[in-house]
Amino acid sequence: MKTGWVFCQNYVYAAWLILHLLLIVWVSCLGTLQAVAQGPTILPSSFRKFAKKTEGAASIALGRQLPGSNPLRETLATYLHVAGIETGYSYFAPNVPGTYKLVFELHYPDGRVEYELPSVSSEAAGLRIVGLLDNIGRTRYDTVREILVKTVAQSIWQEHPDVKTMRAILGSLSLPTVSDFEAGRRESYEFLYAYDFTVQNEPAKAKDR
Amino acid sequence: MRALRQRPLGFLFPIGTDDWLAILRPGLGLQVIFYSLSLRNDWNYLLSGTGRELAEALLSLESHFVPRLGWLVALGTHTGLRVETVLSIVWACLLAAGCCLLVGLACRLSAILAWLLHLCAAKTGGFVSYGVDNFMTIGLFYLMLSPLPDRYSLDWRLRELRPKDPHLLGFWRRVLQLHLCIIYFFSGLTKCLGSGWWDGSNIWRSLIRPPFNVIDPKILVQGKLIFPIAGIVICLLETGYPFFIWNNKTRGVWLICICGMHILIGLAMGMWLFSLVMIVLNVAAFGPELIRFDRHRISLRPQTAVS
Repeated sequence: MKTGWVFCQNYVYAAWLILHLLLIVWVSCLGTLQAVAQGPTILPSSFRKFAKKTEGAASIALGRQLPGSNPLRETLATYLHVAGIETGYSYFAPNVPGTYKLVFELHYPDGRVEYELPSVSSEAAGLRIVGLLDNIGRTRYDTVREILVKTVAQSIWQEHPDVKTMRAILGSLSLPTVSDFEAGRRESYEFLYAYDFTVQNEPAKAKDR
Repeated sequence: MRALRQRPLGFLFPIGTDDWLAILRPGLGLQVIFYSLSLRNDWNYLLSGTGRELAEALLSLESHFVPRLGWLVALGTHTGLRVETVLSIVWACLLAAGCCLLVGLACRLSAILAWLLHLCAAKTGGFVSYGVDNFMTIGLFYLMLSPLPDRYSLDWRLRELRPKDPHLLGFWRRVLQLHLCIIYFFSGLTKCLGSGWWDGSNIWRSLIRPPFNVIDPKILVQGKLIFPIAGIVICLLETGYPFFIWNNKTRGVWLICICGMHILIGLAMGMWLFSLVMIVLNVAAFGPELIRFDRHRISLRPQTAVS
């Protein structure tokens, strides 16, 4: 009797594992397809179109095309998140991307101007701030970008309560190649967006590049 | 036919010891402690305000049931606690769970608490999270489901709690092993697709990209000839992981190389928290055979088959 129970239990565990591994492989494949679609890779450019199409089709299996309130989609998404398998593993791949820089220009009532960078007290938290800047720089949604910049601006404001107005300038950093570096060239900064904040904490205007 | 059916089951349910859990539990305990301590001054800053609300709103678009700090904050504010107080309590509980995991006290409860609180923080801080959070979630998820406690834990010594089934110990280790193989294979495969890993330019870019620019580029540029070799070695190590880690002859070399790679990432890029969790997962999954454990003290009770 007990042997039968143990076997049955083993089959349940095995079935769960197969499903779990399938999900991991599927999500990882999606990550790789996404990397190919965004390029550039060593594959011919025709693969980019193929990867984009396949990625769209593959995401259907994860229920990502279903309405947000669909129970299957919510169950799958919840499981992927709680197991830590919701993203692929294409860290720094296929290529190492550039990074972003957010500079705050602080204007004091006496006409003084100071520059401030988002700061945290530990290196570990610093890595997270870089992640935040990458999210600010890469997001396709202006509203999300504005809210995130505003969040950082609020913390800067708390440290400098005397400031009258503040300008947040977001730029992308291009890294030099080894030969560029040897020729004396350093990282270059390209302006992307600027946000003006007044004392009422309202962004006056977002200036695009 | 029966043998064919038994073979995969034999692979998935080998008779295992708790050696690997004796590495995973304290390793992840240490990881949770370092994670908490490294964020102690910035915890409230990173996980409160509009950023938190936005991250949780975006998370709700995927699912309303993924644990998040917003739930605990709502519960706290309902009982009259300030948001900052709730966040501080969560931080303290996470640190306490890490300490309990390290010594092996109330292993199961500590593992569940550590997984839940870390998951809440990672999801709420979605905009400020990176790879280390994913790997911590994976490790803690498997740890909480594994047959705890292990023989080095306080639970084993003080409360005489014993896991019953050695096959389950083997099974959960297998899950971790297979997951690591998939992680490295896809990580390596995607890297192989980038030309920068073959000519070494991605190594250079990784090392000079702020805030990973721990080493002065003027020093780095002296070793520019090593970059292409390092890039290719990383691609081969990662893509070859699932093929060479299972073989007794190559396992040791591969594991040492992978751990060495993570140590170098920690030293050269300042990502020591990421390196630690990867080393813990790797050593727990494939390391026990390479480390001498005191075999005389194993006293697992195999589940007796009674027909």
